[in-house]
Amino acid sequence: MTMDEIRPGRGCRIVRQNLGGATGQRLMDMGFMPGTKVEVIRNAPLVDPVDLLIRGYHVSIRHAEAKGVEVEQL
Amino acid sequence: MRHKGNKIVVAVAGQPNSGKSTIFNMLTGARQHVANYPGVTVEKRTGKYSHNGNSVTLVDLPGTYSLTSYSQEERIARDFLLHEKPTCVLDIVDASNLERNLYLTFQLQEIGIPLVIALNMMDVAQARGHVIDTHKLSELLGAPVVPTVGNKGKGKQEVKEAIVNTHKNTENGSFRIDYGEKLESILGLLEKKLSEDLDISASYPVRWLSVKLMENDSEARRLVEKAVSA
Repeated sequence: MTMDEIRPGRGCRIVRQNLGGATGQRLMDMGFMPGTKVEVIRNAPLVDPVDLLIRGYHVSIRHAEAKGVEVEQL
Repeated sequence: MRHKGNKIVVAVAGQPNSGKSTIFNMLTGARQHVANYPGVTVEKRTGKYSHNGNSVTLVDLPGTYSLTSYSQEERIARDFLLHEKPTCVLDIVDASNLERNLYLTFQLQEIGIPLVIALNMMDVAQARGHVIDTHKLSELLGAPVVPTVGNKGKGKQEVKEAIVNTHKNTENGSFRIDYGEKLESILGLLEKKLSEDLDISASYPVRWLSVKLMENDSEARRLVEKAVSA
């Protein structure tokens, strides 16, 4: 499953990141690596963004970006 | 030449919103625009102060999460460090977001310029209940670590002192990331090859360049191609 499918309040673990290019690099720079635990805080249902808690800080990303991150639900 | 008499050039680097401009203003007494959102500094700005007879020029670099060549800010910051060769880098680390911020610290260390680390927003970190052993951190990173609170002027003298003393710190540059056996064997080959090219090894940190080539970084490739064809 992908990160955009995780409901708010649930945690997940990154399995793989399929975004290439500048976006993929940026997420890697920010610590979106396989094995990293992420909690979904909020998820705007119709429009962006998805609010996440990762490595002790908050970050918001687009649904399209969250879709590019494969995760397993915890 | 890194030292011209007692003139010291310091690059101020750090991730977006770590307080680079606040620290820059604290040290120089300037009133450069600071706002509480990332990306305020997109160009580099300079300021001056003197400390114990040393004339110090600060260059405020744009905030970057890393030093790849994907975005303009990253290229500005990186080109400055590679080509202008400042005396040292003042790395502003957001103490309340240590893990993510240290990623840039590692990249700065690979470039091989002596570091002074300002552990900024210590008050925020403390309020969140984080306890940071700055001595241990300094020991592990092989660079001085100075706790600061930029907007309250805390740590100002200590940072200034650490900057003029960078050349005395023999530990600086001793830290090195071990990428593991698989990658290190290839990195070792690349480093050896690049060291053999005198133009490249005189102009660029070989370890850094090897890591970037493995990342397939377009700028690093261009630098090597240019040097080889010259």
